[in-house]
Amino acid sequence: MLVILKRVFRTAWQGLIRNSWLSIACITMLVISLMILGAILIFNNVSNELVGILEEKMDISIYFKREVPEEDILKIRDELIGNEKIAKIEYISQEEALLMFEERSSRNPAIARALEELGENPLAAFLSIKAKDTAYYTSIIDEVNESAFKDKLMTVDLAENQRVIERINALSTGIKLGSILMIIVAAILSVLISFNTIRMAIYSLRGEIEIMKLVGASNWFIRGPFLLEGALYGLFASFIAAIVLMPLVVWISPKVQSFISEISINSYFWSNFWFIFGTQIIFGVALGIIAGFWAMNRYLKV
Amino acid sequence: MSLVYFKNVSKAYNGSLILDNITFKIDPGEFVSLVGRSGVGKTTLLKMLLKEESPTKGRIFFDDKDVNKFTNQDITFLRRKIGMVFQDFKLLTQKTAYENVAFAMEVAGYPEKMIEKDAPELLKLVNLEGRANNFPYQLSAGEKQRVVIARVLAQRPELILADEPTGDLDPINTWDIIKLLTKINELGTAIILATHNKEVINTLGRRVISLDDGKIIRDEEEGRYLI
Repeated sequence: MLVILKRVFRTAWQGLIRNSWLSIACITMLVISLMILGAILIFNNVSNELVGILEEKMDISIYFKREVPEEDILKIRDELIGNEKIAKIEYISQEEALLMFEERSSRNPAIARALEELGENPLAAFLSIKAKDTAYYTSIIDEVNESAFKDKLMTVDLAENQRVIERINALSTGIKLGSILMIIVAAILSVLISFNTIRMAIYSLRGEIEIMKLVGASNWFIRGPFLLEGALYGLFASFIAAIVLMPLVVWISPKVQSFISEISINSYFWSNFWFIFGTQIIFGVALGIIAGFWAMNRYLKV
Repeated sequence: MSLVYFKNVSKAYNGSLILDNITFKIDPGEFVSLVGRSGVGKTTLLKMLLKEESPTKGRIFFDDKDVNKFTNQDITFLRRKIGMVFQDFKLLTQKTAYENVAFAMEVAGYPEKMIEKDAPELLKLVNLEGRANNFPYQLSAGEKQRVVIARVLAQRPELILADEPTGDLDPINTWDIIKLLTKINELGTAIILATHNKEVINTLGRRVISLDDGKIIRDEEEGRYLI
């Protein structure tokens, strides 16, 4: 067994070195495939984070009429907290609402002046609601609209919220679907590139395979070194892909962050480096072996 | 017991008959020449014996076993018992002369030490001891054919099929190869030599099977090229 393994490894290594141009071509194509895979993994994370950020920013605010006492609002809050669709409710009093408003409009002296002239706090207290899932927002709004406390509510701009919620929902669904579509297209593309390159490499060696068969070599005796060679292509390609990906990530990360400050490709890449690298190795080696196996079969029928 | 037995074998391609009702036997250790014009079906006949092709009709026996009934594994073992010398050499281009010979031994499962000892000796036997580390593209046609013969010998076959082995060679190399084949035959290996080289056949003075129009027209013990 050890002798066979030694022979398989020696033959595979010889094939890799002696067909250097073919090996370089195959490894280059596999590097491209694995770079696509790496990009897919990173893109998938970015789109998930983006959806997360959008969802995190979503909430519903229920504004109460100014005459509704605080204890009534707190009672309504306690009532709503039992709703299984709601994850979090925060009560913002009139004073807190004013503070927040002043903070937000601190750069606009006209608003500050207007508030001063008004003399009293014009803002209403409200409950800020976060749902467990973005899909629940519409039904929560419906439930609030039909609740027993609906008379205590101010003219709530639920319709406006509804449109925003629907838009964000559509956007996050679009991002999810788009990223799945991109992943599928990129995966098919990378598999096709590597399969065809390895198929062509084996096609160029079909004469050798035929001779080996005529000398009495069994199919596995012939296949072994070719499959190992394919695996070595995948292994080398995944190392190269990782090395090429590193500076690319460092270069692109600040560019993405300048658009969406919460997303750092750089930190995702480094904290998941072994996962990305491991996936690339598994994918590269599997591609090399499967493509080699599949491409060889037709030439083994001599 | 015959080594090879073709029994009423016919072969047709797309309805056109190439070989028609061929019957002959070859004993172990025999030297038989197969002669006939190009395209008469000599190569097809040899390919059928190696199970590269199957007959349309009839049966082929090797060591009294029906080749048509062979499984893939049986075919692999059959090919280890039959060495093949081709006009276009069919050497593994990515391997050196030594590695080509060693490959045939590895295929047969010989241990590493035996390969390291026998492969150089076989190359010495065909006068190529100084060319062991050369790749096929670095060898002349005559040298390539001698590597092929060393590779065949490494298989220790019961039968050697030589299909136009001197077709691409000059007269000196032609006679070198023929001498090697007769020497191997004298040591007990049966040989089927397919050729249309009249001079070689007439000088050999061995059994000749003549093919014409898909049929055996002559089978003589000390035959001559008479087509």
